[in-house]
Amino acid sequence: MKALTKNIFREIKHSKSRFLSIFAIIALSTGFFSGIKSSSPSMITTSYDYLQKNNLMDIRIVSTAGFDDDDIRAIKNMDETVDILAGYCSDLIVTDNNIDSVVRVYSLPEKTDTADKLINETILVEGRYPSADGECVIDSYYFRSKGMKLGHKIRFNEQTDNIKTKEFIKQLEYKVVGVIDTPLYLTYQRGNTTVGDGKISFYIMLQPDQFITERYTNAYVTTKASELYYDSFSDEYKNEIKKEKDDFQKLSDERIDVFRNTTLADAKKELSDAEAEFNEKKKEAEDTISDGEKELYDGQQEMADKLSEGIKKLNDGEKELADGKEQLEEGKKKYNDGIEEGKAKLTEGQAKYDEGLAQYNKGKLQFDTEISKAQSQLDKAQGEFDTQYKLFYETTKPQAETKLNLLRSAIELCNSIIEETERKINDFELITGSDTELTALYDKLDEYKSKVNEYAKQYDSGMDQLEEGEKKLNDAKAQLEEANKAFEQKKAEGMAQLNDAKIQLDSAKSQLETGKLEYDTALVQGMLELQQAENKLTEGEKELEKGKEELLTEKASAMLKMKSAREKLAAGKAEARTQLADAEAKLADARENISNLDDARWIIFDRTDNTGFSGLIEDALRVDKVAAVLPVFFLLIAALVCLTTMTRMVEERRTEIGTLKALGYSNFKIISKYLIYSALASVSGSIAGAVIGISSLPFIIVDTYSMLYTLPPTILSIDYQSFIFSAATGILCTCVVSVITCMGELKQNPASLMRPKAPKPGKRILLEYITPLWAVFNFITKVTFRNLFRYKSRLLMTVIGIAGCTALIIGGLGLKDSLSVIAPLQYDELTVYDEIYSLKSGGTVQEKAYLMSKFHADKRFAETALVDQNNISIQNTQNEKKFNYYYIVASDINDFEKFFHLRDRVTHEKKTLTDNGIIISERISQLIGAGKGEKAIINIDDTPYTVDITDIAENYAGNYICMTPAYYEKITGKTNKYHIVYTQLTEDGKQNEKAIADEWMEDDDILTVFLLKEQLEGIISTLDSLNIIVFVVVLCAAMLAMVVLYNLTNINISERIREIATIKVLGFYDLETASYIYRENIFLTVAGALAGLPLGTLFISFIIDALQMEIIMFPKYVTIMSYLIGFALTVVFSLFVNFIMFFRMKKVSMVESLKSIE
Amino acid sequence: MQENFVEFNNVYKRYKMGEVTINAANGVSFSINEGEFAVVVGLSGAGKTTVLNILGGIDSCDEGKIIVGGKDISHLNSKELASYRRYDIGFVFQFYNLIPNLTAKENVELATQICRDHMDASAALDSVGLHDRKNNFPAQLSGGEQQRVSIARALAKKPKLLLCDEPTGALDYSTGKNILKLLQTKCKEDGMTVVLITHNSAITPMADRVISMRSGKVISNVVNEAPIPIEKIEW
Repeated sequence: MKALTKNIFREIKHSKSRFLSIFAIIALSTGFFSGIKSSSPSMITTSYDYLQKNNLMDIRIVSTAGFDDDDIRAIKNMDETVDILAGYCSDLIVTDNNIDSVVRVYSLPEKTDTADKLINETILVEGRYPSADGECVIDSYYFRSKGMKLGHKIRFNEQTDNIKTKEFIKQLEYKVVGVIDTPLYLTYQRGNTTVGDGKISFYIMLQPDQFITERYTNAYVTTKASELYYDSFSDEYKNEIKKEKDDFQKLSDERIDVFRNTTLADAKKELSDAEAEFNEKKKEAEDTISDGEKELYDGQQEMADKLSEGIKKLNDGEKELADGKEQLEEGKKKYNDGIEEGKAKLTEGQAKYDEGLAQYNKGKLQFDTEISKAQSQLDKAQGEFDTQYKLFYETTKPQAETKLNLLRSAIELCNSIIEETERKINDFELITGSDTELTALYDKLDEYKSKVNEYAKQYDSGMDQLEEGEKKLNDAKAQLEEANKAFEQKKAEGMAQLNDAKIQLDSAKSQLETGKLEYDTALVQGMLELQQAENKLTEGEKELEKGKEELLTEKASAMLKMKSAREKLAAGKAEARTQLADAEAKLADARENISNLDDARWIIFDRTDNTGFSGLIEDALRVDKVAAVLPVFFLLIAALVCLTTMTRMVEERRTEIGTLKALGYSNFKIISKYLIYSALASVSGSIAGAVIGISSLPFIIVDTYSMLYTLPPTILSIDYQSFIFSAATGILCTCVVSVITCMGELKQNPASLMRPKAPKPGKRILLEYITPLWAVFNFITKVTFRNLFRYKSRLLMTVIGIAGCTALIIGGLGLKDSLSVIAPLQYDELTVYDEIYSLKSGGTVQEKAYLMSKFHADKRFAETALVDQNNISIQNTQNEKKFNYYYIVASDINDFEKFFHLRDRVTHEKKTLTDNGIIISERISQLIGAGKGEKAIINIDDTPYTVDITDIAENYAGNYICMTPAYYEKITGKTNKYHIVYTQLTEDGKQNEKAIADEWMEDDDILTVFLLKEQLEGIISTLDSLNIIVFVVVLCAAMLAMVVLYNLTNINISERIREIATIKVLGFYDLETASYIYRENIFLTVAGALAGLPLGTLFISFIIDALQMEIIMFPKYVTIMSYLIGFALTVVFSLFVNFIMFFRMKKVSMVESLKSIE
Repeated sequence: MQENFVEFNNVYKRYKMGEVTINAANGVSFSINEGEFAVVVGLSGAGKTTVLNILGGIDSCDEGKIIVGGKDISHLNSKELASYRRYDIGFVFQFYNLIPNLTAKENVELATQICRDHMDASAALDSVGLHDRKNNFPAQLSGGEQQRVSIARALAKKPKLLLCDEPTGALDYSTGKNILKLLQTKCKEDGMTVVLITHNSAITPMADRVISMRSGKVISNVVNEAPIPIEKIEW
């Protein structure tokens, strides 16, 4: 080995840290640059490779009417078509734990006969493909995220939005037998649907035979485009696809016509037939129902009749029974009475008889006595009579006759006196005598007159008494004779009576006897009869009981029968009604289907319509944009550091150069040492950096994006250009610098070279002339300042290097700030809404007003605004590129302003919509290059209108063009079709955001609802992906800062080793020595970091400009915190480097100070 | 005046160069009295610089005892050594080792500001005869002037011991002579103990004590009873 070569290696060995710092900084910058630059292509290659390998369709056609085999054949026969896969797809609902999730059910790709490669080939991650009924394979992401196991069963609801699951697929339950990925989904977002909550949770795939649907729903087509152009992200591919899509569109028109004329016509006919049938059936069913109803009614009536009859009978029976009972009782009583009576009669009879007998006997006795008595009386009376007779005629009669004669003589005397007196009276009266004499005459007359009367009477009575005595005697004689005769007669009579009585008694006796017999017979017979009657009654009672029971049972059973009949009828009715309703609904569905099918069309998608696909491209491009900006900056700093280092090195080796030159080495040889040195450091550095950077960064970045996308392991696609560019920059910087510096040195002659280069002379610095300030400084500060300004280039290099690092860190953090501020800024300050409802198209103004009144009535909404919002394109008046945005026309400007806070970005001055023009978002203005007061062209329904831009409004996400209804009408001549309702919820409402949305979705007039919260999640996840880049940037900036600081401090120390040694000899302690150097370092760091702050701002604005997207404007917003962190991190790194350097300084040998200056 | 102000007692210093051990000081023993102007002479590699380094607290010995002003410095740690250098030692370098970025006065101040008991920087410069160049940067001074600044820096600390490492090595004859004269004057007038290392044995007559070294050993330690002023010495 030549001495010179040896010298090179020894040089490297001796200046390891310098070599390594060049190596490191070149490695870092090259690695970072080529690594980041390779990320985007790697991402695209990985995904493209994945798509190509799995043969992702180029074009997907969905027909609202489905495809039949003829359609598929027609597509297949297209020139563009390479292969086609017809498949099924439907969205069904699975309810698990009360949560509905929408599952997209696909048919697994099938082999076609034309190509041997499956279209949209799935990748089996685990398990196997389904081979039997009821088996499925599932979305790997969902499988993993739910911690599912193979064998899990997925059970669909029987119905999904009025459509039966079994109309689509064979079974309700499917067992998971395998886990797959499909190229149809690049992201973990499963997309949207019209059923359920509108969000697809996951997908499963079934064998095609599991689908019942007749017509294919999807046609996946691989076309010439992907055969021709490998890169489906390329413009060539896109153009080709665009052409192909047009052709397919043409085909679609033809096929739809065919469909209309055949299938649809058939279907229509079928429908009308079905309708007729339905009507017939309906009538039939109704008849049946009414018949049944009538029958039921009759039955009911009959039953009621029967029942009442039974009851009546029963009642009669009961009454009869009661009567019987009564009769029995009566009979019993009668019987008892009869018995009693009989008995009494008998007893009475007996008694009578006995009495009769006794009477008879008594009578007889009496008779006998009486007879005898009468005999005696009679005898006595005879005697008496005889006595009387004798007395009267012998005494009484002659006495009485004497007396009477006397009386007659008295009467005659008295009469003679009376006669004399009377004459005297008469005479007196005639002579008028005295009254007293007359009165005495009248009294004498009266006295005699009464005496005559009395004598007369006494005579009469005597006469009477005599006559009466005589008569009495005659009477007594007659009486006696009569009594005798009566006696005789009475005796005979009594005898006869007695005999009669005797006969009567005897007959009574015999009668009594007979009566007794009869009584006895009657007693027994009555008893018997009573028994019988009782028996009969009991029997009757039993029968009645039975009858009652029977009636009850009968009634119950009849009721039951009736009830079941009624139920049957009701059920039948209900069933019939349901069936009818079903049939009707089906018919309605069919009708609607057919009417929908009437405007059946094919929707043609390409790969970019896949959200994952376009998202991936955007992400890749974003990475690339950052890669384009950041590492360039990085590289600049690296180059700067290399420059400093190499300059320093060549200067240090001045003597050696001189010696070599003196020894006669050619300039080239001498330079070659430094060239080789720097080349070795930079080439090895850039290679090592590239290897490390390329083998790590793309993987880190792509893998992190893989968290958002379903991608196979990253395929590295190295961006050689950027590698070469960065390596070349690094290598050139170091090498060229060393060459130039060497050349500069070599211009001098060897002698002067060999003389130690006079240390750069000390100089008064500008600061010293500011005497008051300078006087204030202590000695060390003065020294520090003088040292600082001694090597101005180094000062500059250090400050720039450190400032660069600070700027990089701030750049990274600021990017994050900018991203994280978008959502709050946009949705808290600029466009404030919670939910957007889109109304079904059509509807009159009144209907809209009614709907709006419903919105107003819902107190959970704090504010609502009805707007017209649609996609339009806008371009500048030079007819340059069109950009698609949406316009908003508010029905009410006041409402509008509650939702859209139009303002200036910088001054926050409020902007007001006028009827003179439009206000557009700032990003739109930037893109079309037209500002306030200028004109632009907007295309509404393909008609261009030139509009005036009256103002520009701050906006970040969801850029828009807004105008008043008056202006809209002015430019288009049409009125707005308001169909979007913006709403703000109350605080309470915000708690139930989803519930409110769900509730409103029930409303037939609401088409969709859009929750800000859900959109925010999407935005946030997009922005989160950028955080990876931020992280990489900050990390690399930190590393760069470390290396730069280390390198610069290292240079600083090695340049001043002699100085350090000297002050050590002077007795400076280690810390004093260190601080002697560190003051400068700290000053440089602080100065650099400070300079980095504005540089950071500049840098962020640079990055953000590069990142700006069409749909989002990134605000140039950096928090104070980010500046602080950037500053602090730099200082911390610097302190850390100084800390490491402290030990190096400690190791500086004082013996160095004794050495001669080299 | 203290006898045996500086005392080296069987001092060893070994450097390991790979497998070879070099005994730079191989049992060095000598003593110097206070106020003496001692010259250590010897050829290159005789070990005189090693001795000076150890004496100046720049280097440490492996074995033996060094006493300076009654203080044993052989076992001091690096911090104590720094203090020792700070307060007890003044060092004059062959290449002056001035901080190029500091003026003459500031270079002196660099030393004085770390000492508790020190001379005024201007006075120190005055004493070495640099009244007018105080505010000049080293680059603006001649070699002799720079060495004077260096001496002033050493003396300003009021050290117990002034160590000079070939102070004339980089100077021309007459300037060198002037420097030596300055050192001798400082020794004689201020009673400063000066230890000077040189390979130039011609100047030994000016010394109070001459210590000759060879191969890491002291071969003679002679007291010169009648030193000759430097002006009278020619070489």
